Amino acid sequence: MSSWLDYTINGLIVGNVYALVAVGLALIFGVSRLINFAQGSIYLVGAYVGWVAVVQLHTPLPLTIIVVAASAALVGLIIERFGLRPLQNSVRIAPLLATIGISFVLDQLVMLTFSPNPRALPSQLPDVRFQVGGGTIGPLDLLIAGVGITSALLLFVFLRYSKLGWAVRAASQDRDAAMQMGVDVNRVNQAVFGIAAALGGVSGMLVGMYYNQIDTAMSLQATLKGVVAEVVGGAGNVPGAVVGSLLLGLVESYGVAVFGTSYRNLFAFLLLVVVLVLRPNGLFASARQAPPEPLTGTFIAPSRPMRIPRWALAVAAAIFAILPLFPVSFYVLQTLINAWLLGMLALSLTLVAGTIGQVSLGHAALLAIGAYTSALLSLTFSVPVGLAIIGGGLMSAALGTTLISPSFRLRGHYVSIATLAIGEIVSLVILNWEGVTRGPIGISGIPPLSLFGYDLISPNSIYWFSFAVMVVLALLQGRLLTSHLGRSFRAIRDDDIAARAYGLSLNRYKSLAFIFGGFAAGISGGIAAHLYSYINHETFNTQQSILALTVVILGGLGNVVGAILGSVALVGLPELFRIAAEYRILIYGIVLLLLVRFRPQGLLGTI
Amino acid sequence: MTTSAPEPLLTLSNVNTFYGQAQVHFDLSITVARGHIVCLLGGNASGKSTTMKIILGLVKPRSGEVTFDGASLVGLTTPQIVRRGIASVPEARRLFADMSVRENILMGAFVRNDREAIAQDLDRMLTLFPKLGQRLSQRAGSLSGGEQQMVAMARALMSRPRMIVMDEPTMGLSPLYVDRVLELIRTINQEGVSVFMVEQNASLALEIAHEAYVLQTGKIVLSGPARALKDDPRIRDAYLGGSEAA
Ligand SMILES: Nc1ncnc2c1ncn2[C@@H]1O[C@H](COP(=O)(O)OP(=O)(O)OP(=O)(O)O)[C@@H](O)[C@H]1O
Ligand SMILES: [Mg+2]
Repeated sequence: MSSWLDYTINGLIVGNVYALVAVGLALIFGVSRLINFAQGSIYLVGAYVGWVAVVQLHTPLPLTIIVVAASAALVGLIIERFGLRPLQNSVRIAPLLATIGISFVLDQLVMLTFSPNPRALPSQLPDVRFQVGGGTIGPLDLLIAGVGITSALLLFVFLRYSKLGWAVRAASQDRDAAMQMGVDVNRVNQAVFGIAAALGGVSGMLVGMYYNQIDTAMSLQATLKGVVAEVVGGAGNVPGAVVGSLLLGLVESYGVAVFGTSYRNLFAFLLLVVVLVLRPNGLFASARQAPPEPLTGTFIAPSRPMRIPRWALAVAAAIFAILPLFPVSFYVLQTLINAWLLGMLALSLTLVAGTIGQVSLGHAALLAIGAYTSALLSLTFSVPVGLAIIGGGLMSAALGTTLISPSFRLRGHYVSIATLAIGEIVSLVILNWEGVTRGPIGISGIPPLSLFGYDLISPNSIYWFSFAVMVVLALLQGRLLTSHLGRSFRAIRDDDIAARAYGLSLNRYKSLAFIFGGFAAGISGGIAAHLYSYINHETFNTQQSILALTVVILGGLGNVVGAILGSVALVGLPELFRIAAEYRILIYGIVLLLLVRFRPQGLLGTI
Repeated sequence: MTTSAPEPLLTLSNVNTFYGQAQVHFDLSITVARGHIVCLLGGNASGKSTTMKIILGLVKPRSGEVTFDGASLVGLTTPQIVRRGIASVPEARRLFADMSVRENILMGAFVRNDREAIAQDLDRMLTLFPKLGQRLSQRAGSLSGGEQQMVAMARALMSRPRMIVMDEPTMGLSPLYVDRVLELIRTINQEGVSVFMVEQNASLALEIAHEAYVLQTGKIVLSGPARALKDDPRIRDAYLGGSEAA
């Protein structure tokens, strides 16, 4: 029995840590209707500032906390001022994408400064445990609880009794009305970002001390957990975020107790998806609350796409087709093969995110489904590789669409959160379903690409194969967009209420788009599996989802040619300039930021 | 427009407003004289609320000039405009639903820092709106529509404005409350506050207004002293045209 109390204490402590992140997210969401994907990066910064303070400067604990809170707050203020304020009048998706770009940049800067290797972050507290009932509790547990409760009290006093606190509350209930009372919303935003960042930074430091380890992977995990807790509590609801966090901590802790550590995150994301689908406004939202998303299509930058004449496209395709006949290096072909594979994923994403406006942040999951299906079909059932890849595409189409379908009724940012969660769930299921996926060991010895019994081993043949598949998919998608179906897709994106009024069945059209998109992505994943010959649950990760999104925005959302151009540019240019691998993510983040700020319609324009 | 009128407090001249491609105002010109109640009439979607938003800086005109007390408002932010002395009672009240009635009223004094005078003004509001006395600690969202209208007006007055702009203050109220609201507007005006109000109900508005303008699909089609307009048959015509188009 005693262990249950331990699990409860652990759940509450972890929940406390989540609360520090989630409360910040809730404050920001309340005022600007924005899910701040950079929150985890601030948490990461907090952890590393804490490390510098403790290990190098030997600051005492109270001073460490102050230093961490102040530096994190400064980062938050900079993000608000230079990253987000310029986007105030942009399309609704812009600030969300900007926070994603910012998080890439910050994470990479931390990684480049401190190396990706984990570091120990000692807590400086005595290592004793007190007996409480049947469980034990340590000084660090008490510290975390103390920081949590103190922050909650301070926040309460701030919101209830200070003028700025009133402004924050007023702005989060009705931004326009608050402005009409003379509230300067920029100052409110600043305050909220500063507070959120300070809390997030301290949270990162505390977690580092709790596990006595910090590393750069903490960032995304923290964002995800914070978002889960916040959405469970009701987006924008500060007390709700605290309750949601404690609930999440307990659910995870008990889940771990019953099923084991590798299930921890699975429970978090399942909880998120269930809440999103059943109570999208959170567990505590009153019915009165309107959905916090705009009802019509201001989500994506409208623009006039650039018309590229057919002959020019045909010439470009022909040049790429005959490229291997010239003495180009293996390295160039390799790079372009990667671009074609990414191109297929981008085609899929540009259809889903651009044409029907469902901005997916979990697209790599479709790659994973295709890759595992194709690998297992060819390995276990000796299906010929060509057929196995098609099987991968079909499985991705079917499974991907099925998984996403419960969230068809969601809008805007909520779609992004749901797809992100579903992407994580897929990778966690792969990790835990050892009977089928071989779990953490991954699948090795995947047979090489082959077609009609001929192995495609030479770089040229692999190049031609992947290029041809991508071109076929692109042509199909081009046809699709000019058809009646394509017009219906765009009608749904631009105004789903009007589209429904015209009798369009939204779910059917969204399914169709995901089926087509799932197939293209699954094919890409299938081909990749046979090229790599080894895959595991981390081969296709969130970073790739975001890379694909950057590609698609670079090309212009919904734009087929743009998706391919974007892939070539983002894969090719870093190679061309011989940029070291560790700087690439940084560059992708910067590209995303610049695009969102200066050219949200992408190079070729949205369609 | 009328030469004998007192000097203008607020002027809109040749304002053209767009939402994306759609033009909402065509060369709109309106003057509110110091100490007057001016009423903007018009059917649905004629651009009345947008006029309020232009004054408050919530929407920016593509061209034209807006001046308050001789100084241009174009280019100022909403909070800056509010600090110049314009308070608003927005369409559908827009109270801060989860804050208490007291907090809502005090939010109106957000631009002020004179604590004691603010407390006095709060008391004054309770004599002006006696019903709110028992409701002070209640959630604003739980009040009836009429009570919410009272709170919205008290909130606007708390900034000690020189002018109040109101968007359909009588909409959705019971006849009793409608009379009460109109009477209050008159009282507020007699205390020296100029009023610019948007209304659909012409006969009510013309009861209390000094001047009125009639807006039809973004153009002023009629304007003049309220007394003269009250009996003008074109008022009715303009209306029927306007609301049928909507
Ligand atoms: N934010 C907006 N974006 C695009 N169009 C808008 C926006 N706000 C208003 N409009 C359009 O501008 C026109 C004028 O709107 P406005 O709200 O000013 O009319 P109104 O006279 O106040 O109407 P009502 O009597 O219904 O309150 C309408 O056609 C409306 O659809
Ligand atoms: Mg209106």
